[in-house]
Amino acid sequence: MLIGNYQESYASDEAIFRTPATRVWMGLALLAAVLFPFVAGDYLLYLANLMGVLALSALGLNILIGFTGQISLGHAAFMGVGAYATAILASRLGVPFWLSIPAGGALACGAGMVVGVPSLRIKGLYLAIATLAAQVIFEWIFTNWTSVTGGIRGLNVAPASLAGWRIDTDARAYFLIMTVAVAHYLFATNLRRTRWGRAFVAVRDRDVAAEIVGVNLFRTKILAFMVSSYFAGIAGGLWVYFTKVVTPENFPLSLSIQCLAIVIVGGLGSIKGTIYGTVFMTLVPELLKATTGLARQVWPTAQSYLFPLQDVVFGLLIVVFLIFEPHGLAEVWNRMKRFFSLWPFEK
Amino acid sequence: MNPKFRLGALLLAVSTLLAPTARAADDVVTVGACQPITGRFAFAGVAINAGLQDYLTYANEKGLVPGKKFNYVYEDSGYDTERAVACFKKIMAQHSPVIMYGESTGLGKAIAPELTSRYKVLYASASFSSELADPKTHPYSFISGPTYSDMFSVLLEYIARNKGAARPRVAFFYSDTEFGKDPIAYARKRAAELGIDVVGEIVTKVGAVDVTSEVLQLKKTQPDFVIFQGYVLAPITEVVRAAKDFGLKTRFMGTFWSMDTTMIDKLGQDADGYMGVNPYAYYYEEGAPGIAAMRAFNQKAHPEVKYRPNSYIQGWFTGMVYVEAVKRVVAAGKPITGENLAATLDGIKDWDTGGLSGKVTFTNHKAGIGRVYKANAQKGIFEPASDWIYVK
Repeated sequence: MLIGNYQESYASDEAIFRTPATRVWMGLALLAAVLFPFVAGDYLLYLANLMGVLALSALGLNILIGFTGQISLGHAAFMGVGAYATAILASRLGVPFWLSIPAGGALACGAGMVVGVPSLRIKGLYLAIATLAAQVIFEWIFTNWTSVTGGIRGLNVAPASLAGWRIDTDARAYFLIMTVAVAHYLFATNLRRTRWGRAFVAVRDRDVAAEIVGVNLFRTKILAFMVSSYFAGIAGGLWVYFTKVVTPENFPLSLSIQCLAIVIVGGLGSIKGTIYGTVFMTLVPELLKATTGLARQVWPTAQSYLFPLQDVVFGLLIVVFLIFEPHGLAEVWNRMKRFFSLWPFEK
Repeated sequence: MNPKFRLGALLLAVSTLLAPTARAADDVVTVGACQPITGRFAFAGVAINAGLQDYLTYANEKGLVPGKKFNYVYEDSGYDTERAVACFKKIMAQHSPVIMYGESTGLGKAIAPELTSRYKVLYASASFSSELADPKTHPYSFISGPTYSDMFSVLLEYIARNKGAARPRVAFFYSDTEFGKDPIAYARKRAAELGIDVVGEIVTKVGAVDVTSEVLQLKKTQPDFVIFQGYVLAPITEVVRAAKDFGLKTRFMGTFWSMDTTMIDKLGQDADGYMGVNPYAYYYEEGAPGIAAMRAFNQKAHPEVKYRPNSYIQGWFTGMVYVEAVKRVVAAGKPITGENLAATLDGIKDWDTGGLSGKVTFTNHKAGIGRVYKANAQKGIFEPASDWIYVK
């Protein structure tokens, strides 16, 4: 049982993983993550990859919404910008993935900078609608700028390769996605502790007060948009190498909403929560599907009710979660941890 | 516990829950399917699933392939490409089928690289996209019927055959989606070859309800025929009604998805004159033994069912192709693998479907065939307006 956390140096005080227990668990987790592709089948690996990409994208959105308090409904469009930039560089110019993915991130970052400009004047729901416009405009560009984006049919991309090692299976894509996702997870965790990270939170809590204490509102908000869309762009780039095809229909408004749901279900402003949210939003529907599959064997005629019921149950689950824990899954997890740190000695 | 570990633990828990089931025996041919039973394509998905399942049951009952039983496994994929790919991989891992069915063009494209390099199973889908009908890029996929381009070709050929003295004037009316744009480039070319003038192209969003400006455009260009693509019902019904109100003489035509009798139900008396192409016969048609067998099966297995939509027949027809391919592989004494099954497709020539379709020949993994049907509002059904038209 942990009863205290005594720090002897500034370095140990600033460490991300501060207790030996955390470091052990983190090491085990990393080991499990590395071993996972060797034990898991295609289906689970596919889901893991999907979660890696989604978590990365949602992490970006959480920096914007959860940290900085700026709402965006155009997040999928930034994923699209990153994905198209990566796909065009890779398929037309033969740029290797370790350049094309960051380039996609950079371009999405630039797009985010432009889209973020209205955030200085408008807030809340108004900003949501302004970013919605970005979603529509980018989707239109993906569909209609045929000479560059391949139009409605999109672009096909060859698998990435590194020194002759082709990333053409789910297991190999897993290593690529997880490496990038873990690196960005650490980046987001650290970002929070920097001057900029604190400025984000200050803007969220009270923008006027933040400006009075010397936070440049415009720069901070724009930076939040840039970081957020950079994450989305990187996620989009990974998506390209993961699915090997990119079409305008891959980045609809519903994906933006899904990212938003991940952030809210996981916990606004919580980096861990984003991961929990992604796991919840991806795995629960699959588990429900597996359950209906079992129910179908017992009661075969009920399929016409059971299939739509999955969505109903999933929706209800989200509502129930939000009612009982508005701070999201991250807070549920924290409460559980607090409970077990005293157990069985609590009164 | 920290987040990474929790993720791993959760995944492990799921993996035990979904552990692979036993492999099928040699005399069982497993057909897997990811069907859009929920989501916005559910209107067709439920029926396609029923049709495919029923035909495989029918094949088992009749012993169409001696010594082989078909085992059908399906899951709902919700018309969502990511979920569909997950479904595809899950079924492949759990049941190792040799034949798969997929829900959409999106799934066909997303799974294509792995289908070619790893899974190597015979694959058909609800899609008629011409992009998937290319044995070079999609060696294991086939279209269970004509592509949208072929359907346009059938309609244009019909127009060219029945023209009067003047050159026919045609307008294309399509949605701003892959589904809508798929055949348009080909259709322009084909129209020029057949001596038909394309006098207008109207592009809209799906389901746009205010169609006044589009109909005014039609009034200005005065086409003899308008061909819709990329819609199911809306906005076709609105356009047809508005055109009547404006006193246009234009005839309206649709492709497969807009040719179900629900269109006539929606249009009511305005349905008269509405036409379109269907690669399959209708459930109520007489004089086709293939359709009669389907009705007999339904009377026995689902006595409550009085009508089956076109998508059911599409599923049934796909089942027929699957069974035919297996039959041919077995007859050749080869093992039932995706490669062997896909190789038989090219050998399917003038195949008799008992009037469910015309004489089916697969070229480039698609069967370019269709028949023009015309709505009879009085009876509430579509009636043949031409014989089967074959696309070269």
